[in-house]
Amino acid sequence: MGVGGPDRTAFEWQGNWKAFLPIALTNGLLTIVTLGIYRFWATARERQYFWANTRFIDDQLEWTGKGKELFFGFLIALVALGVPLFILNILVSRLMLSGQGAAVGIITLIIYILLFWLIGFAIFRGLRYRLSRTSWHGIHGGSDEPGMRFATSYLWKTIVGFLPLGLLIPWASTRLFKERWESMSFGPHSFRADPRWQSLMKRFSLFYILPTLAAVLGGLALWKGGDDVGSVGAGVAAAGLIVIFFYIALPIISLVYYAAYARVTVGSVRLAGLEFAFTARSVDWLLLGLGNLGLWLLAFFIGLIGALTFGGLGALLSQGDQMDPIVAMATAGSSGFLIFLSFIIPLMLVGPFIRYRNWAFFIRHMEAGGEVNLEELTQSETAALRQGEGLLDAFDMGAV
Amino acid sequence: VTGTHPVWHYDGRSAVRHQATITYGPQGFEMAGDGMAFQSHAWADLVYRGEKREGAIYGLKSDAGWQIGVPDPLPDDLRAHLPKPQRYGGFIDKVGLVPASIALVIISAGVVFGAMKAPEVVAPLVPMSWERAMGDAMVGDLGGRICETPESRKAIDAMVARLGSKGDPVEVNIANINMVNAVALPGGKILIFRGLLQEAKNADELAGVLGHEIGHIRNRDVMVSLLRQMGLSVLLGGANSDMAGALNSLASSSFSREAESEADDYSIKLMQKARVSPDATAGFFDRLSEGEEEMGQAAEAFSYLSSHPMSEKREKAFRQSKVSGAQHTPVISAEQWRAIVDACANDPDVKVGDDLLF
Repeated sequence: MGVGGPDRTAFEWQGNWKAFLPIALTNGLLTIVTLGIYRFWATARERQYFWANTRFIDDQLEWTGKGKELFFGFLIALVALGVPLFILNILVSRLMLSGQGAAVGIITLIIYILLFWLIGFAIFRGLRYRLSRTSWHGIHGGSDEPGMRFATSYLWKTIVGFLPLGLLIPWASTRLFKERWESMSFGPHSFRADPRWQSLMKRFSLFYILPTLAAVLGGLALWKGGDDVGSVGAGVAAAGLIVIFFYIALPIISLVYYAAYARVTVGSVRLAGLEFAFTARSVDWLLLGLGNLGLWLLAFFIGLIGALTFGGLGALLSQGDQMDPIVAMATAGSSGFLIFLSFIIPLMLVGPFIRYRNWAFFIRHMEAGGEVNLEELTQSETAALRQGEGLLDAFDMGAV
Repeated sequence: VTGTHPVWHYDGRSAVRHQATITYGPQGFEMAGDGMAFQSHAWADLVYRGEKREGAIYGLKSDAGWQIGVPDPLPDDLRAHLPKPQRYGGFIDKVGLVPASIALVIISAGVVFGAMKAPEVVAPLVPMSWERAMGDAMVGDLGGRICETPESRKAIDAMVARLGSKGDPVEVNIANINMVNAVALPGGKILIFRGLLQEAKNADELAGVLGHEIGHIRNRDVMVSLLRQMGLSVLLGGANSDMAGALNSLASSSFSREAESEADDYSIKLMQKARVSPDATAGFFDRLSEGEEEMGQAAEAFSYLSSHPMSEKREKAFRQSKVSGAQHTPVISAEQWRAIVDACANDPDVKVGDDLLF
């Protein structure tokens, strides 16, 4: 079966926000009333919707993961991480009390190295879990690797990437992309990926060129200012430059670099007769980011308007002189509750709708070409994972 | 046979999509289609798998890969046979969203209440030997910063004996740390800091503070505080997954205002029984409160936030506990008091510990 074409792309996002809204609303409600425990089931419901509205060639994807397995994965991670950390904590407090600062430093360093290793492990396990729960035409993906090797590689490559002033970060991240994707498979076929870090260096050099340029320009301005050196004006200008650099220039460079990273890495992925591509340009990423920011602001303002409305109503109602104190209390209580609700409901919807936008963005810019042989695409024989991405969740990295 | 309906089918072995027709009756259905073997299944073996754009998909209990998709619209008699759709999961689908939410709110409120109250109930049940082992692991010998001479040891023991608190033995030590404070630690350990001894004018002043810390130990406040922090971190772990942060807060423990007041009451009772004058302790708090008076009303407001009752209120409590006509004697002799105060100076191999990391 041929894949993709000028009139019909291989991937298509078919969801719409009105159909997603009831899912997001009820997920928010149930997450609140269960003190957050429902969020595992909420994640499963969200993904079921995202996957079921993502068409690949002639059929939608299916998410087969369950809330229960995410929950148990989280519990396992909680115990596996929590118990050793608790014991180490007692040990460290004892060492601190006896003034052995060096030993505390060494143990803390070991803990951080271990946590770093675990982050690599979690990334691998998360990807493996998601592929194993992604089904298309009744066939799912997975991996037979446990992820320990990737975690070790993640640890040292990330450190090596940062050491020479960060110059090797593109090399480290593309190598790690290759390592984790080439350990994955879908049906009987292994993924292939060989992103070239060289293609990223031009954009990565912006991280060095722009700050240097800014410093030179700043220096020049100060020099030209001559007598004014150290004056209020120069101080304000310097502060302005720093703010512009950290809040505008740096995020934009990161975005420009990340756009290239996504194009290069995803564009190198192959699966049997299929080739993948990712078409989002920097400006698309910028619009995505601005849209997500806009969602936050929108939710905040809707919440504010609601809160002011109910607050004003409450104040109006309680102005009567001969008001029964019980009625007054009930009025204050219910208007307080309504203020709380009018804030919490819009803010509660921001997270799900940002994930919705991110997923739709990802699918809209995914492309694939080549051939799929359905007869040869037989069921994956990878070992079934029993629990979800608990570790990723424990590190608060479980986006989408 | 009651009817027929088109379905699509994946066998879970290859990705080939089959177009098929099911012929269904009250017990089950038969399925035939292009390039596939004739199949027959009971309704009871079918499970709901999810919703797709064309219709719901169903799987088989015994075969994880097998699925059929049933395109909408469904005839009513077919809908009646198919498994019910799962929306929210588990029992919520059975009882309905609103009743389930109300029930969950009640359960959650109970869990929060339990988590707040449970430590006070559970703490007395934790064997003292466990708490002692934890205390030893956490505190050790303070890196050699405990001040002790044979005389100071005897004097402290004499003071504890005079106060005569019943229960497991408490272990009182002087720490060579310049802070005006004393702490109760897990396992019946009490540390008196050097700074407190320098601030105190006589042994009776120390007796009130010591009684207070013994009160914390007898009330198992240390264990309550440890358990509360643990419970809190687990609860927070449910809502927000920054476990490292939650676990770190375990290290720093403090007691509630009620626990502090009760420890004062305990101290006052010990002193009354032992016929030690509470005036000295009251005077000690009076001196401490001078610093607070300068802050005036701010201090009053602040005392509701901080865990220790304001020194002025504590002073009053101790002052008013004096029974008129009671005969008081100093808690220990003047020489014994000197031995305690000078313990850090006279201990040849004690280390100075002001660089304590907490």
